[in-house]
Amino acid sequence: MTTGSFAWRGATIPFHPGESVASALMRAGVLQLGQDGAGCRLRYFCGIGACQSCLVSVGGTIVEACLTPAGDDLNIKAVEDEDG
Amino acid sequence: MAEPAISSFDVLVIGGGAAGVAAAAELASAGLSVALAEQRPTLGGAYHRQPVGGSARQLRGQRQWLRLLRGLAGAGVEQRLGHVFIGLESDGIAMLDDRAARRIRSIKARALVIAVGAIERVLPRPGWQLDGVMTSGGLQMLLKETGGVPPGDLLIAGSGPLNVAVAADLIRLGRPPVAVIENGNPFARPGAALRLAAHPGLVAEAARHLARLASARVPWLRGSALAAIERRDGRLRATVRMPGGGSRMFAADIVALHDGIRPNAFGLPAETQAQPIVVRAGDCREALGIRAAVADGRHAARQVAAMLAGTVRDGSADRKIGRQRRAQAILHELFRPVDGYGLAALPDDTILCRCEGRTVGDLRLMLAETDAPGLREIKLNGRFGMGLCQGRFCADAVRDMVAAARPAVDGGASGPLSRDRWPLRPASIAALAADDELQEGK
Repeated sequence: MTTGSFAWRGATIPFHPGESVASALMRAGVLQLGQDGAGCRLRYFCGIGACQSCLVSVGGTIVEACLTPAGDDLNIKAVEDEDG
Repeated sequence: MAEPAISSFDVLVIGGGAAGVAAAAELASAGLSVALAEQRPTLGGAYHRQPVGGSARQLRGQRQWLRLLRGLAGAGVEQRLGHVFIGLESDGIAMLDDRAARRIRSIKARALVIAVGAIERVLPRPGWQLDGVMTSGGLQMLLKETGGVPPGDLLIAGSGPLNVAVAADLIRLGRPPVAVIENGNPFARPGAALRLAAHPGLVAEAARHLARLASARVPWLRGSALAAIERRDGRLRATVRMPGGGSRMFAADIVALHDGIRPNAFGLPAETQAQPIVVRAGDCREALGIRAAVADGRHAARQVAAMLAGTVRDGSADRKIGRQRRAQAILHELFRPVDGYGLAALPDDTILCRCEGRTVGDLRLMLAETDAPGLREIKLNGRFGMGLCQGRFCADAVRDMVAAARPAVDGGASGPLSRDRWPLRPASIAALAADDELQEGK
């Protein structure tokens, strides 16, 4: 039932329709989500948008990977890889 | 200059879990106009998180959830999905971050019902900040979302019935955890175990989970504690302190931690009977779990409807809520850690506040100063609870350490580390700018 994929740091991550970015990354075995501006490592943690540890950049906007639905051909970047 | 587009409703319900959906349906059926805001693209909250991709897996509590959804559908509630509540402005307008449109939406309501659920308590331990370490609830969200389990070996540690439930879920999905580390020892609390008999639903659920652990030969190590997690050779290595005083090592790729739940009440506007009325419902009012959430949501809805009608409703809550309060107290006693809290034994370099990278040693240094810092200084100067999560995952431990070192510090152990402030969540600058355009343009 895989219908799409998005790009993450050079890798192609498949996802199921309606799946969150975090769920797709975790199923693909991606545990490290880079660092935030304060130099703290980002990773999936609470799954309900509370801890702010799974921030990623989607189209230039920093969002929680666990709240954000995956979309076809999205280029999802680590916060530290986002220019500016 | 046009005014910003503001939608008006009698009541805005924030949070689309069991309590919020029950409250919204009840309010709408009383003839009130209701908007229901949910941060995710789908309703369900944590307990009723729905599987994606048309998976037909059997879900716990699905009958209750379908009944709640039917109540919502018939009542004409306006759903605002993918809308994150970021705060209540001083003029009483609620601000929602519409994630798909990247805009802030303003809603003027005569009353707010806030039902944003619980968060898990996770005690600080050396290495809890590493990637691959998540909460047990977070792991369960992944299981519920797709039925898929992240690759590698899993270890579950901490305290409470959720850890056993998640282990049972993993076994059912063919991926038993290497062990479940439990700080408490329910078998050594016969008094509490006897009182649990008054709650046969809980007993049956616990028995089912424990039978599953036993048949899969998953060790449930009671009276033991996860002392440290390190990353070694690309895997996580957990040191577990055993009841006899020795220690055991476990290698895993995922470590799930959970030490109980508490209301997700950080930064929420205070409850008030003055308009806009603010009432909390469900686990964010009092963490009583799914069995109380629907009753509590309906209770909050009836209170709000009475306040809006200018009548007073007696404050006595549903009998179900009192019953679940007693059940939670029993579970708390059953799973009470055998050797206490353990904050005093943490090494200085243990991360206490993950967002700001502040350690247990940083706080100890502050507390050792001759000029005793209050909670406010600990927050502003020590940066504890100042990070993006607003103290959700460090405030309890910070307060406990302060209370242990300085019983007389201002506010005492119950004083708030975090005050209400908004945005409750970091809203994107683009979304806030889009709101400005709305106000200036058009």
